[in-house]
Amino acid sequence: MTPRSAPAPAPVVRVRGITKSFGGAAALKGVDLDLYPGEIHALMGMNGAGKSTLVQVLSGVRHADGGTIEVNGRAHSGLTVRKARRLGIACVPQRRELAMGLTVAENVMLGDLPTRGRVVRWRAVRDEARAALSGLGMGIDVERVAGTLTVAEQTMVEVARELRRGGRILILDEPTACLSADDADRIRSLVRTLRDDGVAVVYISHYIDEVMAVADRLTVLRDGAVVTSAPAAEMEPASLVRSMVGRDVVSQRPERPAPKDDSGLSVRGLSHGRAIQDFTVDVRKGEIVAVLGPAGDAQSRLFDLLSVRRRPDAGELRVDGRSVPFGKVPASLAGGLRCVTGDRRTLGLVQGMTVDENLMLAGDRFARRRLHRRTELARRAAPLRAGYGVVALTGNPPVGALSGGNQQKVLLGKWLETEPVACFLEGPTNGVDVAAMADIHTLVDDLASRGVAVLLASSSAEEAMRLADRVVVVSAGRPVAEHDITAITRDELVATALGGQPQ
Amino acid sequence: MSLKTPSAHPDVAAGRPGRPASRLSPRALLRAPHSGLIVVLVLVAVFTAVQAESFTSSQNLLNVLRQISVTAVIAAGLTLLMTAGGMDFSMGSNAAVTVSVGATLLHDGRSTPVAVVLTLLLATLIGLVNGLVVTFTQVAPFVATLASAMLLDGVALLVLDGESITIGRRMWALGNDKLLGIPCLCVVAIPVLAAIGLAMRFTTFGRDAFAMGGNEHVARLSGINVVGRKLALYALAGALAGLAGLMLLSRLGAAAPNTGGLQLQLTAVAAVVIGGTSLAGGHGTVVGTVLGVVLLGVVANALNLLQVNSYYQYVVTGGVLLVAAVVNEFQRKSAPGR
Repeated sequence: MTPRSAPAPAPVVRVRGITKSFGGAAALKGVDLDLYPGEIHALMGMNGAGKSTLVQVLSGVRHADGGTIEVNGRAHSGLTVRKARRLGIACVPQRRELAMGLTVAENVMLGDLPTRGRVVRWRAVRDEARAALSGLGMGIDVERVAGTLTVAEQTMVEVARELRRGGRILILDEPTACLSADDADRIRSLVRTLRDDGVAVVYISHYIDEVMAVADRLTVLRDGAVVTSAPAAEMEPASLVRSMVGRDVVSQRPERPAPKDDSGLSVRGLSHGRAIQDFTVDVRKGEIVAVLGPAGDAQSRLFDLLSVRRRPDAGELRVDGRSVPFGKVPASLAGGLRCVTGDRRTLGLVQGMTVDENLMLAGDRFARRRLHRRTELARRAAPLRAGYGVVALTGNPPVGALSGGNQQKVLLGKWLETEPVACFLEGPTNGVDVAAMADIHTLVDDLASRGVAVLLASSSAEEAMRLADRVVVVSAGRPVAEHDITAITRDELVATALGGQPQ
Repeated sequence: MSLKTPSAHPDVAAGRPGRPASRLSPRALLRAPHSGLIVVLVLVAVFTAVQAESFTSSQNLLNVLRQISVTAVIAAGLTLLMTAGGMDFSMGSNAAVTVSVGATLLHDGRSTPVAVVLTLLLATLIGLVNGLVVTFTQVAPFVATLASAMLLDGVALLVLDGESITIGRRMWALGNDKLLGIPCLCVVAIPVLAAIGLAMRFTTFGRDAFAMGGNEHVARLSGINVVGRKLALYALAGALAGLAGLMLLSRLGAAAPNTGGLQLQLTAVAAVVIGGTSLAGGHGTVVGTVLGVVLLGVVANALNLLQVNSYYQYVVTGGVLLVAAVVNEFQRKSAPGR
C-alpha cells in the first residue's frame, strides 16, 4: 500500500443508511460510506447499481429519502448543491462541464474572477489560474481556449477549478473513460497528488485493474446496497467482479466456425488528412479483425469515413466484393455495410425517442414501411429486446433514460439485425459494466458466426484478444503491424500498441 | 439467443418506476399531457362566459372558429416542421403574398380554380425555395426564413401597390358559409389538422420528422433521406401557408396591404409553442397546437367582448405565451424518462 503521512482517524464524510427511491423502485437501500481525507475511495458497481444516485445525493443534486450525511462531524440534512459545495464537496462529472469558448484561466476562475471595482483584472486571473494549475503539477497554458484541450486536460482544469473553490472531497466520475493510456496515467498521477494533499477522493471507474492500482479503499454497490467495503489491499480482481455482478462473469473466446474464404469487407488505401494514412484491411466473412491503437488514433476516424459522414481524400471500399462509393449513406447501407458508432449519445441513438422506435429506426427504413403503429412496433421490437438483453423498468421509456449498457445493446440491436454483410463496430463496450460487456462480446461472436465480416475499432488490447481473429495495430495514423491472434500474447500486443488499457 | 445477466436488473438509477396505480389522483391528472393548457383554457372560457353573456352565443363561437381556422392551418404545418427541427418564419408572409396575388388574379378575371391552383403552386414553390436555402447553405432556418419573411412582406406590398383589391362575391362561400352548421373554413382546417396529426403518429414520414428533430446525424445514418424529407416538409409548410392565404382572402373578400404577414406568423408560432412543441425539435403534438390556437383565439375574443382596450391584446397574448412556456417546461422536467 502506498505510504501515507498519518492515516486520519476521523472520516471527513460519514454517510449512514441513505435511502432513495424513485416512485416505487428503490435506488439506494440504506447505504453507508465513510470518506477519509488523504484516501482514494473507489466506488464500483454495474450500470444502475446506484453509484450515480449516491453521488447525486452526496453532491446535493438529489435529496435522500432517509439516512444521514455527516460532514466534518456535523450532520447535514437537506443538502443542496450550494450547501454541498460550501462544505467542500465537489463533483467532476463524466461529461466535462467547461465553458468551451472561454480560456483555461477564465474556466479555472469562473464565478470568482478577481476584480477591482467591477472591472476584471486579467493579469490576476491568469496568474492565479497558473498558480492553481502548477500547484497540481499541471503545465497547461492558461491562455488556451478550453475547447481546444484534450479530454484529459479538460478533466485537469475542472479538478483545478474545484480545488480552488475549496473542494476537499472530490468525486471523479469515470475520469479515465475514453482516454489513451498516457492520458489516463496523467489523470491517475493527478489523483495521487490530490490524495497526498489530503483531499478525500471518490473515484468511480469500470476498469478493475485501474481501481486496484489507484484506490486505497473499495466500496462495491449492487442493486442499491453496499456489498463490500474494504481496503483495496484485501481485495482481488476476481472477487471484486463477483461482488459487483453477484456471480462469476465468464467472457472467454468461444469456438467459432472458421472464416469463409470470400472477402466481406475490404478497405484499400484509405487516407484522410494526417489522421489516417494509407489504411488497408481485408476482412473475410465470419472473421473479426480488430484495429487497435491508442485512443484518438486512426481507428477513431474510421467510423466517420466508413459511415460516409466524411469523404476520405483517397481510398476504396468494397463490401461483399462490390465497390461502395464514399459519401452516400443509402448506397453504403444498401451494400450491406453497418457502422455502429462508439458515440451512442450524439451519433447512435435519438435520445428522446422510445426504446422500441430506436431499435427499429434503421430496420423499418430498410423495409420501406410507410405506416407506424405502436403495438405493431412493440411486437417487432420484442424479439430484439429479448435477444439483445435490453431491459427497461417501465414498458417503453425514452432511450435516454436507460443505463449506458442497455443503450449500447439497443444500438447494437438496431444495426445488427438488419441483415448485415459487413459490420464496423467502434468501441462496442465503451462505458459499459462488466456483465454487459460479456453480453456484448457474446453478441459480436454470434454476429461473426452468422458469417458477417466484422471490423472492430478498439483501444483495448483485452477486447482485441477476446474477440478478434486478427489484429491490425495502428499508430500515428498508419497501420504498423498485423498479427494473427494465436501468434501473439497480450503483452506483446500491448507493447506493439504502445500502451493499451489502463494498468 | 437470450441473455440473462444481472445487468438485466432494472435501471433503478436512471429508469423510472411504474406510475402509481391510481390514474385519477390529482397528480396523475396534472401529469396528463396538456393538462395545464386545458385548465387555463377552461378558466378563461368560464370567466368570459360569466362576464359576457354574448360569449356563448352560437354567432360568437362560430366567429371564433372562423378566426382561428387560418392560424390553425399555418400552425399545423409549423408543428410538423418544428418537430423535425426546422423553422419557417415566412409562412404568414407567404400567406400575404398568396392573398395579394390571388386577389389580383381574380380581379383580372381569371377563373377561381385557376387562381387557386396558381397561388397554391406559388406558395409551395416559395416553401421549397426556403427548404433549398436551409438544406444547402447551412444557414440557420430561423435566419433564412426570417429573411424570406421580410422579403415576401415587401413582395406582397409591391403586388398590391398600396391599394386594396376586392374580389367581390368570389370565394365568398368558403369564407362565410356553413356546412352542417360548421363554418366552411373549419371544414377545411380540421382535415388539415387531422391529417398532420395522424401523419405524425402513424406514418413513417411523421416519425422521420421526430427522428430528424431529435438527432439529425442519427436520422441520416439510419438511412432516412434527410435532405428529401426536409425539402418535402418546407414545401408542405409553403403549401399550407398558401391554403391559409386563400382562406384569409375568402373571409375578408379583399386584399389589403399588411394582411397576414409576420403578425399572423407570430400568432401561429405562439400557438405551436404554447402547445408544447419544442423549438429545438424532437417533440410536438398537433393536439397541443390545436389547444394553443384555441386558447389564443378565445383570449382575443374575450378581450374583445369585455371591451378591453385593444392594445392590451398584445400584452395579454404575450403573457399567455410566457406562462404557457413556463408551465410546459415544468411539465417536461417532471415527465417520466427525464
